[in-house]
Amino acid sequence: MIERTERRRQSREAKIVSPRQTMRLPAPVRRLRRKAPLYAMQGIAELSTRLKQMTGHDVIDLNRVMDVVQFVYKQQELARRGPDYAVDDFGFDPQWTESFLPLFKALYRDYWRVETTGVHHVPAEGRALLVSNHAGVLPWDGTMIKTSVFAEHPNPRHVRALVAGLFMGMPVLSWFLRRTGQTVGHPDDTRRLLERDELVLVFPEGVRGTGKKFKDRYRLRRFGRGGFVATAIRAGAPIIPVSVVGSEEIYPMVADLNPVARLIGLPYFPVTPFWPWLGPLGMIPLPSKWRIQFHPPVHVERHPPEAADDQHLVMAIADDVRNTIQKGIYENLKLRRGVFL
Amino acid sequence: MSPVPSRVLITGVSNPLGAEVARRLAPQVPFLIGCDVADPISALEEMDFVHADTRQAAIGKLIRQLHIDTVVHLAVMVDSPYNERAIHETDVIGTMNVLVACAGPSSPVRRLVIKSSQAIYGAGAGDPSFFSEEMASTERPSSSSMTRDLLEMEQLVGEHILRNPLSAVTVLRLGFRLSEDTTLATYLSLPVVPTFAGFDPRLQFLHEDDAAEAIVRAVIGGQAGVFNAAGDGVVLLSQAIAIMGGRPAPIMPPYVRWLSRLALRGVARLNLPAHLADVLAYGSVADCGRLEAAFGWKPAFTSRAVIDSLARGREVEVLESPSPPQEFELQVYLQRRRREHGNGSRALSPPTRATSGPTSP
Repeated sequence: MIERTERRRQSREAKIVSPRQTMRLPAPVRRLRRKAPLYAMQGIAELSTRLKQMTGHDVIDLNRVMDVVQFVYKQQELARRGPDYAVDDFGFDPQWTESFLPLFKALYRDYWRVETTGVHHVPAEGRALLVSNHAGVLPWDGTMIKTSVFAEHPNPRHVRALVAGLFMGMPVLSWFLRRTGQTVGHPDDTRRLLERDELVLVFPEGVRGTGKKFKDRYRLRRFGRGGFVATAIRAGAPIIPVSVVGSEEIYPMVADLNPVARLIGLPYFPVTPFWPWLGPLGMIPLPSKWRIQFHPPVHVERHPPEAADDQHLVMAIADDVRNTIQKGIYENLKLRRGVFL
Repeated sequence: MSPVPSRVLITGVSNPLGAEVARRLAPQVPFLIGCDVADPISALEEMDFVHADTRQAAIGKLIRQLHIDTVVHLAVMVDSPYNERAIHETDVIGTMNVLVACAGPSSPVRRLVIKSSQAIYGAGAGDPSFFSEEMASTERPSSSSMTRDLLEMEQLVGEHILRNPLSAVTVLRLGFRLSEDTTLATYLSLPVVPTFAGFDPRLQFLHEDDAAEAIVRAVIGGQAGVFNAAGDGVVLLSQAIAIMGGRPAPIMPPYVRWLSRLALRGVARLNLPAHLADVLAYGSVADCGRLEAAFGWKPAFTSRAVIDSLARGREVEVLESPSPPQEFELQVYLQRRRREHGNGSRALSPPTRATSGPTSP
């Protein structure tokens, strides 16, 4: 009873909110706007069956079309949330991220035709540190590893990749990366994510990896100072090495204009056969054939947390992981028939 | 190290936070005195008030002659319309003066609570997602004078702690607050909010009540050390603007930020300090785990609740109005009477003279 009077005292009078006065379109136009997606779908379906009858095989894949429609509807639905959504403390919005998955799945299946092996090595739950090689001027390999775990794993999980602070300082990327679950490559962030039992992806090569020239595209760079191993030991998380083949060819970087890069504050300024000559067109990645291999986990959680200060052990494990990834790259290169096949 | 504070001095008592802290402390401590340069915004019968400037050595005399054992130093400007020079004078020189007054074996002060700010961490693209207490260091490049001033201030505090092991010092790094008059609240309340193009940082807020509560808890048997204090969770800038009913306009170029600040001052009459401009580009979130562990308490309002309450506050009238001027005069009168008759004791003797009253000179 007290509660009710209290609530009544604190409540405000309801007021009648009139709908916003905007120009009303004529009825036929409104009906058309409502029904347009439906008509478009019907049209495409009809066209698809006609084409199938004429040529004998699927020219338009209706599932892909449905994906696009779903994507548009999902975006509209997300826009309706207004400010009433929650992001985690790192700024990750899972609902929003999943709405973009159809796009990345299209890239994954149709554009780069990624073949993934050993995804069962990724634990269905609990913490783990994925360690991968890094290549290609822009970090597309990160997006594909994320997509592969979400699309191929029996228990779809979001991979939280660690990104160089440089990318976090770039407009658009700064919020897009954070909202899709990435965070800054800082040991403190790695520790916090692992302690929350997340799946964390690191590229120990860092920008030295993405900035490597085309001629040494398959050769791994130095793995930092093995900091990722120390973090994994402290957090008690297994390390899962990942080899990615194919990201090396998306932007064949033939030269690096270092003075230009230094002028605009970038670690490298790539020159490819298409960039910067073709402008924005040169930023389209080439459709190389990709393979991603997840290796069996290295169980560093067997070591006590104090072992993280043992520099010898840390460097030994880091070297092991590096060799596993390097070997994986050569094996997958043999399995791949050609760069674009 | 006296566990229970008995004679407490609050500096900077005339700002809203200082007044709130005084109001909450008054029933818990036997003797309370506040000082500030400006007149108090609300008077308390239990609190004495003197005009005193922390930038002058007079504060030392005040502390020694009144045998103050606990100093609550709130005269630290973080979000203020004054220029950099005045802020530096107050924050660094003022704090130095207070520390000098509290230092030495002859000093009666045993506890010191100092207000600092989350602005001490600055904000940058490569910064970790959470700032823990040890991450404020002079080695990190910081472009804003506010951050440099706070770092210098805390460095002085650190030296004080080393030299005076007898006194317990608590430094509270308060998160960004959103009372009506803070720059951040004014910025978020704009009908069209210009933001840095391509940036949508995570923000973290601290409610006024929680700020006052944290300080009071630090005074009454709090632990010594440096603590972050800010609300749970984060709110994205775009979310905050939408909650406030504004419209984000990503028109400010992200690179030459002082130019945008100049434009904001000219167009929206909003003086955005450099450290806030950095926060609005890269965001700043503090880890308050240490506070929770040491105090057994954490801010009651989440960041989301703070911005919600600010948005609601704009719709309804202010619920708790500041004390009206009559009350202020009455309190001053009562205080003076108390001093004349009771001679320091709490008991009020009945009036003996007919002339005593608010009309008497």
